[in-house]
Amino acid sequence: MNRPWLVGLGLVGTLIATVGAAVSVGSSAVGWADVYHVVLHQTLSIGPDPSPTARRIVWQLRLPRAVLACIVGGGLSIIGVAMQTLVRNPLAEPYILGISSGASAGASLFYLGFLPPLLSKTLSMPLAAFLGGLASITIVYLVARDGPRVSVARLLLAGVAMSALMASITSFITYSSPEPDKLRAVLFWLLGSLNGARWGILPIPALTTALGVGTLLALARPLDAMLVGEEPAQSLGMPVETIKRGLIVLAALVTGTLVAVSGAIGFVGLIVPHAVRLLVGVPHRRLVPLSFAVGAIFLCGADLAARTVLPAQEVPVGVLTALCGVPFFLFLLRRRAYRFG
Amino acid sequence: MRLSPAFFAAALVVAGLVGCSADQDAAPAQLTDDLGRSVQVERPVERVVSLAPNLTELAFASGAGSTLVAVTSSDDYPPAVDSLDHVSALPVDFEALTAQKPDLVLATDQINPPGDTDTFDALDLPVYFFSFSSLGDVFDAIETMGTLLNTEAAARDSAQALRRRAEALRTQTADIPQSERPRVLVLIGDETLYSFGRDSYIHTLVEMAGGRSITDSLDAQAPTLTEEFVLTEKPDVIVGAWGPDYDPDRLQSLHPTWDIVPALQNNRVYSLPDDLLLRPGPRLVEGAWRMAAHLHPDRIDASSARPTVADSASAPSAP
Repeated sequence: MNRPWLVGLGLVGTLIATVGAAVSVGSSAVGWADVYHVVLHQTLSIGPDPSPTARRIVWQLRLPRAVLACIVGGGLSIIGVAMQTLVRNPLAEPYILGISSGASAGASLFYLGFLPPLLSKTLSMPLAAFLGGLASITIVYLVARDGPRVSVARLLLAGVAMSALMASITSFITYSSPEPDKLRAVLFWLLGSLNGARWGILPIPALTTALGVGTLLALARPLDAMLVGEEPAQSLGMPVETIKRGLIVLAALVTGTLVAVSGAIGFVGLIVPHAVRLLVGVPHRRLVPLSFAVGAIFLCGADLAARTVLPAQEVPVGVLTALCGVPFFLFLLRRRAYRFG
Repeated sequence: MRLSPAFFAAALVVAGLVGCSADQDAAPAQLTDDLGRSVQVERPVERVVSLAPNLTELAFASGAGSTLVAVTSSDDYPPAVDSLDHVSALPVDFEALTAQKPDLVLATDQINPPGDTDTFDALDLPVYFFSFSSLGDVFDAIETMGTLLNTEAAARDSAQALRRRAEALRTQTADIPQSERPRVLVLIGDETLYSFGRDSYIHTLVEMAGGRSITDSLDAQAPTLTEEFVLTEKPDVIVGAWGPDYDPDRLQSLHPTWDIVPALQNNRVYSLPDDLLLRPGPRLVEGAWRMAAHLHPDRIDASSARPTVADSASAPSAP
């Protein structure tokens, strides 16, 4: 069947167009021709020397930010896929299950100097975020587990409760810290923002997200089987318990790394996998890579809107994703007959 | 000109004599504050609580510092505030405030929510709201304080001295041609680029100091600038409210793309004590002088930027 390939090609084209738009539009007017010159000059070293201002704006401010948006959007989306398969419910997502807020709490604890830097600073903050997210999702999962099954009501309630608890920890430590920029810090961790992206901070989130995509692709068949049910999967000889634990750690790892660079951006991982399932169905070997692409497009576009919707000002991108995501979430809650297959 | 403490003492004695001789001063005064509310002030006003650091400085400048019994927990100037009680202003700690039994509470709509007036009324606490939208409002507020707190003569002199000092700076920078006025960006934050937009008094200070503010036409009143904005606007000078110990290299390391901005290329990033720029109080004039000394070191002597007016703000106001 050709449909998934067509969809995939279309998505790659859209992704390139979105990134192109993201580097061409911003708070200051840089002409399309200048953008074109900069990209040509930086990638292929041909064409005239672009003006230093345009080069900095396009190559050092906008492009790393667009790439970060793609990594974060794609990474959160595939973790959404993993979480939804893990609990066999369409409402699961790193933000809703409290992983993001746990990671925010861990990262802000480190950011404000309440945790000692164990390794270098670039590694310690993602590590703190990972541990925070892991603690949060472990508690949520243990509370929600009811024998072999996961109770959806308990899962959502525990997720909401842990989110609130972790958010209040973040608010408290930022509020009580002596740092003068604390208001900014709390907004960053609670709402999410891609401000401050530069090439130097990209490798770690890129690597962990690649690891996430790779792992989920390698597990595509077991994941498909788990969607049908854990007993059938077990009867096929798959180590279901190990896979479940692995998925939780992976979710905490990827989410933690992404939250450390972008704050808690919600609802991307909820919307995107659903949209992709509508397009190409449920098999994970298609769902995972296409979710990554759609998530990248979605967040890159949302960030473009966040940068341009108010003149000379920036809206935290998490505000926009929540604006799109919450109605969608409520809709899914009402639509009980929703099925994966 | 320098106002000696003795002058203040004399002015206070005169004001006191006048106050005693006139009976109607003992009667409650009906005043209208900057929110348009009618405020009844019982005379004499002996216990005053200030709910904003700039109001505290203005009260001292108006010669009525001795009537203050409590200030906010953020107050740090003049040094005399250290011996006063401190109450929380954000949000207002109404319990602690009531316990101070104030005759008058000073508030400003920049810090204290005007919606709180209902609570003040319910607690029967007379509160006077100030509002500052221009440098002139700051000078006027000193005189208003004088009226409120019965130190009119001292307050008028203090306000006049500040106006003269502001005028002296304007005179010095007036003949600087437009081409020699640097394009100035004033920043509040160094990582997140909080700045001043349209209608801010900060543009008056920059103008007085002989510069041109590049954010004076931004729509938002408290904009958060983007790095792109700074790259395209290319300010000649960046003035930050980051305190006297700020290392300009930090700005470069936070914003590596700014290496082509003239202010950073020419080492023209200056940091002033935040109070001199951010508190709409008597020390704004000193802030303008110190900014001028940075913008035009060849014209404005740094020592003349060390003001006499700051003394008047901290002058002992009690005889």
